[in-house]
Amino acid sequence: MPISLRYVVLRLLQIVPTFLLIMVVMFVLVRLLPGDPTSALLGERATDEAVARINAQYGLDKPILVQFGVFLASFFRGDLGDSIVDKTPVLGLILSRLPVTLFLTALAALLSVVMAVPLAFVAALRHGSGTDSAIRAGFQVGLSTPVFYLGILLLTLFAAHLHWFPVGGYGEHFGDKLYHLFLPALTLALSLSAVLMRNLRNSIVEVLEAEYVDFARAKGLKARVVLGKHVLRNAVIPTVTLLGLNIGTLFGGAVITETVFAVPGAGRLMIGAIFGRDYPVILGLTLALALLVSLVFLVTDLVQAALDPRVSA
Amino acid sequence: MKKLIGALFSIALAVAVTLPAAAATKGGKLIYARYADSLLLDPVFNDANVDIWITTNLYDTLFLPTDDGKDVQPGLATAWQAADDGLSYTITLRQGVKFADGTPMTADDVKWSIERAANPKNGIFNFLLTSIGSVAVTAPDTVVIKLKQPDPVLIKALATFNTAILPMKAYEASPGATDEEKAKTFAEHPLGTGPFKFVSWERNVSMKLARNENYWRKDAAGQQLPYLDEIEFVTIPDDATRILKLQAGEVDGAEFIPYARVAELKADPNLDMQLWPSTKVNFLTLNVRPTFKDGSKNPMADPRVRQAMNYAVDKDALIKIVTFDVAKPMTSFMSSSTPYVNTSGPAFPFDAAKAKSLLADAGFASGLDVTCLALAGSADETAILSTVQQMWSQVGIRLKIEQVDNPTRTAKYRAGDFQMRVSGWTDDIADPNEIVSYFAYSPNIQSMHTGWEDKKVNEIFEASAKEMDAGKRAAQYKQIQDSYMEAPPIIPLYESPYPVAFRKSVKGFVQIPLGNNIFVGASVEK
Repeated sequence: MPISLRYVVLRLLQIVPTFLLIMVVMFVLVRLLPGDPTSALLGERATDEAVARINAQYGLDKPILVQFGVFLASFFRGDLGDSIVDKTPVLGLILSRLPVTLFLTALAALLSVVMAVPLAFVAALRHGSGTDSAIRAGFQVGLSTPVFYLGILLLTLFAAHLHWFPVGGYGEHFGDKLYHLFLPALTLALSLSAVLMRNLRNSIVEVLEAEYVDFARAKGLKARVVLGKHVLRNAVIPTVTLLGLNIGTLFGGAVITETVFAVPGAGRLMIGAIFGRDYPVILGLTLALALLVSLVFLVTDLVQAALDPRVSA
Repeated sequence: MKKLIGALFSIALAVAVTLPAAAATKGGKLIYARYADSLLLDPVFNDANVDIWITTNLYDTLFLPTDDGKDVQPGLATAWQAADDGLSYTITLRQGVKFADGTPMTADDVKWSIERAANPKNGIFNFLLTSIGSVAVTAPDTVVIKLKQPDPVLIKALATFNTAILPMKAYEASPGATDEEKAKTFAEHPLGTGPFKFVSWERNVSMKLARNENYWRKDAAGQQLPYLDEIEFVTIPDDATRILKLQAGEVDGAEFIPYARVAELKADPNLDMQLWPSTKVNFLTLNVRPTFKDGSKNPMADPRVRQAMNYAVDKDALIKIVTFDVAKPMTSFMSSSTPYVNTSGPAFPFDAAKAKSLLADAGFASGLDVTCLALAGSADETAILSTVQQMWSQVGIRLKIEQVDNPTRTAKYRAGDFQMRVSGWTDDIADPNEIVSYFAYSPNIQSMHTGWEDKKVNEIFEASAKEMDAGKRAAQYKQIQDSYMEAPPIIPLYESPYPVAFRKSVKGFVQIPLGNNIFVGASVEK
């Protein structure tokens, strides 16, 4: 497995220009949105003097280049500024909320793999049968149901009526958090698992028909070895890529899921920041997410290289 | 002196009403679900209801609003006396009051707190205290507030959240270079004389308060207040989730129940659905300047068009459709809980024929087109506007609905770049002076950014701010309301209560018309 340290360092360095570009674009874009943090904060009643005072306090009355300079200077000191709405440091807000979302997305990714892989195998081995159609139809429903609606349905059934799970919130310790985040993670996982299942099923069907599998079988290898070593390993490569690419989408889904399930994560922080035009929070959170998604892409590529010797790394 | 005795009498009456007569269960914890978390727990620098409505559980003011929201009762002060010239007030402080950490409250704390609240550089609510010149401590239990001009509303302003008494030394010792920075750090661990003391706060998740063992107040039976050991406020932004949590018994109470769910929760045997009379008024704000921002002619500059628009809305039907009959029609631009409200009858009773003839008189026999800004995703605003759209189409007013998000709407509104929008208002003080200064007094914010101006109304309002005779003030406010309501720059729709639901076991919660959530008399029965 030819993964060189040089490759990893190079890929990490490639993240830097992407990151800087996102920083500049977002800094300008949020300021181009109609409305501003001050009037969003002070509401309808505020007098012009009150608005001017708050604008001056956060430097929003200065030219955009000056504002960017101030932001850059504090950025390199490790300071992302203060939230205009919450009046607390942005870095602290992100550090307190992002782990929640990471936990949620990791759990959702895990759940979707756990659901998708075995069923994809069953569907692929019996492709064309009634079982195959039933599995695909079931996942199709999961994929096409809007996340917020699915969330309310799961909450009503499993939390309010059956009392198996709490109605939203976020627990105190690890086990408690797992218990609280199970339903929201399941909500997120259902649509992703449908995508993964369909993809994996199709690639397994394809691999099963490949000549090297016929050859392996002809050699007299056991079915378990053929499936595990030859079929799964080859079929799973496109699915890993797909999972990596979809982590960004999971973050997006978390925005809605966290609101429905009252989970205090980065998704809810982002929604609040956008509706409050809280520029420092929007920018800080976007940068944190961009960094995370870049790292996930890197890991995906490394895993792919490990699985597929043809991909050089 | 007659004035003082009168005041004391109404105070005594009010205290008797406030406190529950039956013995309440002591102890226990109450979990209350809110739609949004607080932002800043400082009474002077905060600017939102999410702070205002709960800070009164942590901090006390010299006087406290009564439960009907119209008057005041003694708080950290026990009595007051106005000088004959109306230019100073002598206030007697309650003795033996302690902050939650056990340090005694002093007259210096009072002087400092009032002066901080009145400082025009501090926050956005100091406009309620513009008459204050200085505060002097004349005895350990007496402060004298000197005024720049007579102020008929001073005592009510001293019952409003921003004049809460804070511990001067603890506040000044908080880290921070400016007063506002100190406010931020102090508000991370607020300390007051209120019924509850601050314990912990995880933003957007939960805030925990515990009983203030040093609280000064007892109930009518002589039992120490508050009853509860703990309150936890949890933030659950989604309406459906908040209600599910209440139904599942994971929380004891929840605020902002959507009107569509009120009947369902009323029928739930485990729940107590409460609708508290409020000062919340819901209306459409109209731009009445001669031209719109794009230079086109504005039909709503003509008073007859505004009258027609008002007559063409069937308020009773609207209340049924939008609020499921929870709200009630308005008689003025202010709520029925606001003192001096004009209650002579419903404003602009539905009359389509009259609306048509007014439009014809104004030269719009063939109808007219208007556009209203609506908050994207707001079920209430969509329901209001699609109903009004139907009603107006009957008289030839063609309404277009433009959906935008809140910051966009606020920016357009502040710039006068709008034709119409959906609005709401709640009073912060038990007096009409605040709502009138925004709605009808144009020098403030151009009458809620409508561009409406009546010089006579401005003069009457300025005179009323110094008028010490209650009868004359009532007459002034009647005159202001009559002039304003003739062809108002708004369409008053309805006044709506605060919808709050509790488990049946919870007793004694009060939400006053100003919105304050009062937990001092709340208890959880076994």
